[in-house]
Parts: sequence; structure tokens; C-alpha cells
Amino acid sequence: MAAVKETVETVGEVEKYKYGFSTEIESEKAPIGLTEDTVRYISAKKDEPEWMLEWRLEAFRRWKNMKEPTWAKVFYPTMDYQNAYYYAAPKQTVAPESLDEVDPKLLETYEKLGIPLEEQKMLAGVAVDAVFDSVSVVTTFKEKLKEAGVIFCPISEAIRDYPELVKKYLGSVVPVTDNFFATLNSAVFSDGSFVYIPKGVRCPMELSTYFRINEKQTGQFERTLIVAEEGSYVSYLEGCTAPQRDENQLHAAVVELVAMDDAEIKYSTVQNWYPGDEEGKGGIYNFVTKRGDCRGRNSKISWTQVETGSAITWKYPSCILRGDNSRGEFYSIAISNTKQQVDSGTKMIHLGKNTSSRIVSKGISAGGSSNTYRGLVSVHKKAENVRNFTQCDSLLIGDKCSAHTVPYIEAKNPTAILEHEATTSKISDEQLFYCMQRGVPEEEAVALIVNGFCRDVLQQLPMEFAVEAQKLVGISLEGSVG
Amino acid sequence: MTDAIAQSFIDTFERERDALPGAGGWLAARREAAIRELADAGLPHRRLEDWKYTDLRDVLEKAAFAPAPAHQGAVLLPEGDAGSGAALFHAIDRHKIVFVNGRLNHALSDMDGLPEGVALRPLAEALEQDWAKAAIERRFDTNPQAQSISGLNLALMADGVALHVAEGVALDKPLHLIFLAADDGASHARNLVRLEKNAQATVFETHASAGAAHYFADQVTEVSLGIGATLNHIKLQDEAAKAVHLSTMRAALSEKAKLDSFTLILGAGVSRGQTFVEFEGGEAEAHVNGAYALRGEQHADQFCVVDHAVPESNSHTHFKGVLDDRSQGIFQGKVIVRPDAQKTDGRQMTNALLLSRDASVNAKPELEIYADDVQCAHGSTIGELDKDALFYLRSRGIDEMTARQLLISAFLDEALDYAPHEEARAELKALVAGWFEAGSLSAEDIV
Amino acid sequence: MLEIKNLHVEVGGNEILKGIDLEVGAGEVHAIMGPNGSGKSTLSYVLSGREGYEVTQGSIAYKGQDVLEMSVDERAAAGIFLAFQYPIEIPGVTTMTFLKTALNAQRKARGEEELDAVKFLKLVREKAKPLNVTDEMLKRPLNVGFSGGEKKRAEILQMAILEPWFAILDETDSGLDIDALKTVSEGVNALRSPERSMLVITHYQRLLDYIVPDKVHVLSKGRIVKTGGKELALELEKSGYAEYGADEAA
Repeated sequence: MAAVKETVETVGEVEKYKYGFSTEIESEKAPIGLTEDTVRYISAKKDEPEWMLEWRLEAFRRWKNMKEPTWAKVFYPTMDYQNAYYYAAPKQTVAPESLDEVDPKLLETYEKLGIPLEEQKMLAGVAVDAVFDSVSVVTTFKEKLKEAGVIFCPISEAIRDYPELVKKYLGSVVPVTDNFFATLNSAVFSDGSFVYIPKGVRCPMELSTYFRINEKQTGQFERTLIVAEEGSYVSYLEGCTAPQRDENQLHAAVVELVAMDDAEIKYSTVQNWYPGDEEGKGGIYNFVTKRGDCRGRNSKISWTQVETGSAITWKYPSCILRGDNSRGEFYSIAISNTKQQVDSGTKMIHLGKNTSSRIVSKGISAGGSSNTYRGLVSVHKKAENVRNFTQCDSLLIGDKCSAHTVPYIEAKNPTAILEHEATTSKISDEQLFYCMQRGVPEEEAVALIVNGFCRDVLQQLPMEFAVEAQKLVGISLEGSVG
Repeated sequence: MTDAIAQSFIDTFERERDALPGAGGWLAARREAAIRELADAGLPHRRLEDWKYTDLRDVLEKAAFAPAPAHQGAVLLPEGDAGSGAALFHAIDRHKIVFVNGRLNHALSDMDGLPEGVALRPLAEALEQDWAKAAIERRFDTNPQAQSISGLNLALMADGVALHVAEGVALDKPLHLIFLAADDGASHARNLVRLEKNAQATVFETHASAGAAHYFADQVTEVSLGIGATLNHIKLQDEAAKAVHLSTMRAALSEKAKLDSFTLILGAGVSRGQTFVEFEGGEAEAHVNGAYALRGEQHADQFCVVDHAVPESNSHTHFKGVLDDRSQGIFQGKVIVRPDAQKTDGRQMTNALLLSRDASVNAKPELEIYADDVQCAHGSTIGELDKDALFYLRSRGIDEMTARQLLISAFLDEALDYAPHEEARAELKALVAGWFEAGSLSAEDIV
Repeated sequence: MLEIKNLHVEVGGNEILKGIDLEVGAGEVHAIMGPNGSGKSTLSYVLSGREGYEVTQGSIAYKGQDVLEMSVDERAAAGIFLAFQYPIEIPGVTTMTFLKTALNAQRKARGEEELDAVKFLKLVREKAKPLNVTDEMLKRPLNVGFSGGEKKRAEILQMAILEPWFAILDETDSGLDIDALKTVSEGVNALRSPERSMLVITHYQRLLDYIVPDKVHVLSKGRIVKTGGKELALELEKSGYAEYGADEAA
């Protein structure tokens, strides 16, 4: 592969983080720093209509007066928002109409990441939108999906081609001023996926977006919007990786889901951004706002996440259970090793009658990492017959890491039944000895036991990804014992 | 940025400082520092995480309490009134100490007749004791928010008792501290308990009104347990409906020490009960349990932090509550296991029953774990009465009201069973039974 | 097959085994009997390599190799198998997954090809049937919520699939009723072969009615105090362990 030069910074790290290479490709960047001009630059690059630019500028003006939140149990040096790039895109003269026109370096990059984009090699039944730094490179199976009436395209394209849909839903779940990082995203978001499932349609295949940060000193601010109309169903998966670099890079995404009457959205994430090295140098700062709105009756939104990467993870995929009988689910595996810090959880806001939610969180801390579950279950006054069950389990590997559980449970209606359980444990010496006596080497035994610990969550992943996720669990914990 | 209510406390301090215990001694400087800290920080408010559910600044600002005066004239103990919280435990053989408006009332108290090795002194007389000085000077820097609000008490504490039990001595019968509010206003009391090695004591506390309606009772209890010492503690909070009750217990446990504390909350309009337990030696044990039954506009916030800093200690926290009318219940708990505290066993549980459409409950049971070889768990349940159980009882001919009472008291009994004194436990149960009778469990409440 | 010479073992500073000599030939089944606290379980743990069991003197050779130099999983891959007295629960890991992971780990360590899913499933079904291990049980997390009998049958199933050369059965009879004992013993007997040796550790003679040993050793206070044929077990059943210095022989 002459065209792709790999940058391998620490030889010993190659095995552990196999996505750590970077692709040398000529790119086009916005001038460094963040001003109104940066926002205008991005909007112009995307060829956006005036209303979109105004929307962004409004967000930017708000953002300038906002403060970074400090309530999470994560610690990092002050970020210099003026010393980063907010837009980077592989240089390409014309927008690719088909795969043949896509820079082969990019196709090779995705192939190396295990995401072949050429149709003959693709995972059957999975459509992929590949986002590279600030732009979507290609979206597969677009035509086939169109036949079913499903729109699956880069959000930049949706803004041009489906402005009414975007106007109606963008910012309707995560308001522009929701929080510091979401507002920043609203100002500078570059790409991401847009999914629209019309009434009564069951999306014929899994949809998936693969996010790749490649450029140095560049933040990634993707924006995803999924709308499931009445009676529709979609399963969506996102994956994320980044090269190994000494610096910290910011990833501040916003994901909005809207489920109308009887609709169901299943959203799965396998997050494997570069976590930094053994000493905590480098790695992605992952500050993400994800929220789903069960707007219709009997709607359902289910979040499943496998979080193994990033130096810092700050994300709380949440559900607003507005429609009567709606249901929210949150299944999470968060693994932290070395110096990683995770502060993640969910919010289940029960507004409608007979709404139910289920939270299963499995936190695994190893090395010198810190792993916090933070969650809210809130029952509003008019929400009758709410049910919630929450299970938070923490597993500690070694005595230098920490695990925290911070649940908030708020009930304002007497008909609610809310149950919360949390435990903390370690892998017992007996379990390790037993597995090893059967011939399983120590690291494999740890992975086996941890996978068992995570089983309830792994089972929620689409089949194609469950196996990958299991392997990832093992890889993430390498070096944590012995 | 000194808020108005902090300023009013500062003014009180300026006026009264020379008359407070320890004026002119070492304590004066500590009081001065504490009031300065309060001036800087202000009263705790909703935007502070630990006070998220109780805005003390707002509550005190609205209430605008003046300092409670020294009560003039006699106070009658309502011992004959069986249903009254103030009369609780009167049938139990005990040492009785009575405070009126936060001041020790010698006429009603019985400071004598204590066994050898047990010293009980008014706070002012204990200040020069080394152990008492250490207890007052102790900072809880690992829990800074405990530090800040107890500073108010440090600056203004006007009275209290200091109990010291010598090595190997067991207090012969329970010490009962009765705090009565006879006049409106704010009072600040401080009690000190020190049990030396293998000493034992049982302490009851009652907080009730004796005529006052509108008052602020602020109290801090410092507990220090030597190696193998055991303290049993039962507290009844039965303040008047408009009262604001703020109490903080800070306990430090040496090796093999045992703290068994139980709190029953029935009274006060707004209350905040804080318990901080620190383990300083292994194989120690702390039980911090409680029950609450709220109605009307009552607001009760229980805040409990158990800090395991050394290996092999156990803690158990369980609070159960029922909430009627428009009342609000809060349980915030935190189990901290620090890096060296291997083999810790930390348990925390909270259950709440909502009896009315307008009642609400918030729970925040936290774990903060820095050691791997530990067993920690917490749980929380919130719900209403089990409809199936209710139906079952009614199908056996029990009317709905009785059936509900039966189920609610069964629910609370589980918590009351933790009270570490048999006779006291029976009295607490009787008192809770009275709560139902006096209560507003009327037909329109049944949801 | 196995040669133990003058083995001294300490646990937490206390000497538990005080000079064991034992030789087990290929195809032989030896029983170790003895009162509680005589060091039976210590012997099984030190053979399988559990941490905390310190060999202060002596040697263990298995097929000519120095066992003490090998890690726990290396010993397992070399064919040493321990059927646990108290099998350990592994939540979330199904029995099937566990078996496959273990078998393939051993095969990999020995440089053999890993079994694919189809072949593996066939193998498990074939071995599970005579032991009354149902598909439903194979789908449950290993040992979690298993009855005493189920746990022991699962242990023998693991042995049947892993096909060790040297199996240690640590009190496999404990907690079993007579029917379960028969099933388990039949499972064990089916594995007897001229190439496979076994060390059967038991407190009671009962098990040896079903798994008939070639030799019986009496272990007491960390030493083998008597060795004989299978009739020695019957003798012990009558007279108890009293004459071997056990105070609390149950």
C-alpha cells in the first residue's frame, strides 16, 4: 500500500490500538481558531442556505457566553478553543458521484479499519456512511434504501435536499443552548448522518456511520439526526476510531432521535477513539450529547453503547418519554484502562403515562482509570404508572483504578415503581484459577469473565457487531492484569 | 458575597460573642474563623450539589429567625401525654438532660448519679478538656460541605453537653437528651461524646416543641469512639410543623468500634439531617439507619456519608420513609472507599412509599470506590402500596383504611427494628402507630 | 506419569504437606484418603499450581517435566485436570462458551488447530448425553444456580471434553446422592484408559465402590502413612482414621 503511509508512534502500542495509524492525504482546513468567520467558512464550504448559517451564528453567539461544565468527575487541562481547527476535509475537486470517484486512499483507510466500502465486499445488510474528519466520504446502499423510502445521507446533503425535514427536527430534541458542548457543536458541526424512515417502513438493513478523525489538531463535531415516523423501525450503529497522537483532540457530537407513534429506534455505538498512551498522553476528549425523544405513543428508543476508547468520555444518551406507553432503554458497557476517565450514564425523563425504562450499566475499570456512572430517572407529576429498573454494576481490576455510581432518582407521582440496584465487585482469584486450570491463559480468562459480566449488554447489540465488541472488550483490558 | 441571612448570623455573632462559652479562650479564635468562612461562602443553596434538594439559604431567608431568647419561667415536661413525642422514653429508666431553647435547663436535668468513670459536663465547662478541644477542632476536610455548614454552629453554639466515658466503663442506663423549643427563634447547640477504649453508652435524643411554633434548631454532635467502644444512639425528631431542624452528627471510629444509630423523623417543616462517619481503624462497624413519616408540607432531607479510609470496616445504611399530602422526602447517601480500604463491606439502601398524589421523593445513593477488593452495594426503591397486597387484605374483610395502615406500618417496622434498644424501639413503634391515627389518611387520599 | 518426591508445602507459613512421595504410573488410578485437614486438597491445588501454595522442598515431575516450573494454564494444556470440590461460578459465561474457550485455548497452546463451531457442538453433544447434561444446562452460565449434582456432572463433562492425561478428582463424591454418584462414576470410568491416570481424593470409601482404584494411600498430617490395594479403603471404612492420628475423623 504505497499510497498509505502509516504513522506508528509508539511501537509497543501497535497491538493494543490497531486503529492508531493515520492517513496521509492532502486536506483543506479552515483557518485555525474559532470566530464568526470560522462558522461562515464552514457554512459556505457546505454550500448551506442562509437559514442554516443564521442558526449556526446564533449558536455561536450563545456559546461565547457559556462556561464549560465542571460537574463531571473528569479532570483535564483547560482546552484552548482558539488553537484548534474546526474544519478539515480531504481535498477533492468535485463531490464524488460514485465510489469510483472517491480517493482510493480513503477507501483503503476504511478497508484497514475493517469497513470495506466497495459494494462487493460490504457487510451484507449494512449500509454505511463514512465520515472522515469533517466530511462524509461516501454513503453506501443509498439507492436501495431510497426504494424503501428511507433517506440515509450526510446531514450536509440533507440540509440542501430536505430543508423542511431538517428545519422541523434539527435542535428539536437537543436545543441549541442545551449545554456548552452541544452549543459549540450547533455552531460548527460539519457532517454526520441524517436518517428519515417514513411511516410504516421497517428499514430493510442496518444503517451505520463510521467516524474517523484523521487530521492533527482538529476537532470533530458531527451531528446526527434520525427521525422515525409512525410505525417505522430502524437499527443504527456508529463506530469511531482515530490515529494515535500525542495531543488531545476534541470530539463534540450531537445526536438527536425522534420516534413518533409506534416507532422504534435502536441506536448502538461502539466507541473506540484513541484512548491515549499508558501515561495518559494524547487521546480523544469525547464530549457528546445524545438524546432521544419518544414523541409518539408506544414509541421506543433503545441506546446500546460499548465505550472503550477516548481519554475522556462524557456522554449521557437519554430518553424523553413523552408519548404515553413509550419505552426507553440504555444498555452500556464502559471500559476504562490506563489513565482513561469515563463519566457516562443516562437520563430517563418520564413525562407520559405508562412509560417505562430500563437501565443496565456495566462499568469496568482497570489500570489507573476512573469510571463513573451518572444517571437520572425522573418521574413527572402527570406521568402515571411509570416503571423503571436500573442495574449498575462495577468491576474493578487492580487497586489503582476507581469506580463511582451517582444515580439521581426523582419521583413526583405515587404510581411510579422505581427500582435501582448497584454493586461493586472484582474478578475473584478463585474464578481466575478455575479458568486457568482449564487451560485458559490469564488475559484470556479476564476477557472471558469480563465478557460474562457484560453479557446482558452485549446481547443487545446487532449480531454483526456483538462478536467485534466482545473482542474489543478483551483488547481494551490487555495489560490490566499480571 | 455575603447573603442577607448569613449577614444576620454575623450580626448575632457580633452581638453575642462575648457572652458565648469560651469567650476569651482558644475557642474565640475558632469561632471568629468560622464566621468568616460563613461570610465568604454564604449559606448553602440549591446550586451546591450536596444541597441540590434543600435550599437552606432560601428557607432561612424566608423564615428570618431572630435568636431564641433564654426562656423565662417554668417549662413542664409533657410526660403524661402518651401520644406526644416529647414524652417519649419517659417510662425507661434513664439519665435525663433537658435543654430549653438550646440552653441547658438545670432544674429539669439530672446531671448527678452517674457511675464512676462517666463525666457529663455542660459544654462551657468541658472546653479545657483535651478530648473536647480535639473534638471541636476536628475538621472534616475530606467532606468540605460538612465543614461549611457546621461552621455556623461552631460560631454560634451557646450550650450543649460533653459526655466522656472512661476506658472499659459502661454507662449504666441510657442518657436522654431532650431539646425543647419553648420560644420562637434560632438556637445552636453542640454535644460532644467521647467513649474511651471498650467503653459503652446508649444515648437518646428527643427534639420537640414545648410551646414554640416558629424556630430554627441547629445542632452538631461530635462522636469519637475509642478502640472497641460501642455507642447506641436513637434520635427522635418531632419538631413543630413550622420549625426548621438542622442536625449534623460527625463520628470517628477507631479499630473495632461500633456505632449503631437510628433516627425517626416525624416533625419539623424543613429538616436536614447529616451524618458523617469516618473509619480510622479496621474491623469497626457503623449502622446508620432511620425511618421517616411526613405529611402536610413537610420536607425532610437525610444526607449520609460513610467514609472508609482504612481496611476491613463495615457500614450499613438503611432509610425507609412514607410520604403523604404534599410532603417531600430526600435521601442522599454516599459510601466512599478510599484506596487503602480493602475488604470493606459497605451497604446502603433506601425505600420510599408515596401515599399521596402530591408527595414526592428524591434519592441519590452514591458509591465512590477506589479499592478493588471490596463489597459495596446500594439499592433504592420508590413506589406506592402494593395493590395486590391491599386487595388480598381487603378480600379477607379488612377495610381499606385499616389495610393501608397495616401495610404502611409493616413497611416502617422493618426500619424501626434497627433501633438499638428494645424498650425504646417499642415506644417508637407506638408513636408511629399514633402518626396514622392523627394523620390525614382520609378517603380522598386514596389513589 | 507422575512422580512426587519429598514434597513439602506451606500455606501462609504453615507446613501442610511434610514430605510426600508418590508415583502414579500410566493408566493407574490412585486414591488418596484421609481425615479432614490431612492435606488432601492442598495436594490437589499444588499439583494444579494454585497461588499461595509454596513448595519449600521436593519435586513434582509429570511426564518427565518439572511441573513446578509451569503456570496453571500450561499445566492444564499439558493434560493436568482438576475436578474441583467446589466448582466456581462464572456469571454470564455460558457452559458452552466456557468449554469452547478452554478446549481451544488448550489446543492452541499445544499447536493444534482450533475446533470450529460445528465440530465442537457435535463433540459436546456426544459427551454430554451420557452425563445427563442437557442443552438447557449448557446454555446457562457456568455453575451459576447449578445444583450440587449438576456442578459435579459439569466438572466431569469438562474432563470428558478436555481429555486430560492426569485427572485429579477432589472429593467429587461430596454432596452427591447415590444416583448422581453412579452417573458421575460411570462418566469417570468411561475415561479410564491405559494412557490416562487419575488421582481420586476422597474422605469416604463409598466412591471407590464405583471407581475402583489400583492403589490406596492414607494421608495424615501431611504425610502418606500407609499404602495398599483397594482393600485398604474397606479397612478404613471399618476402623476409621483414628489409628492414623486423626482426632476428628468424621
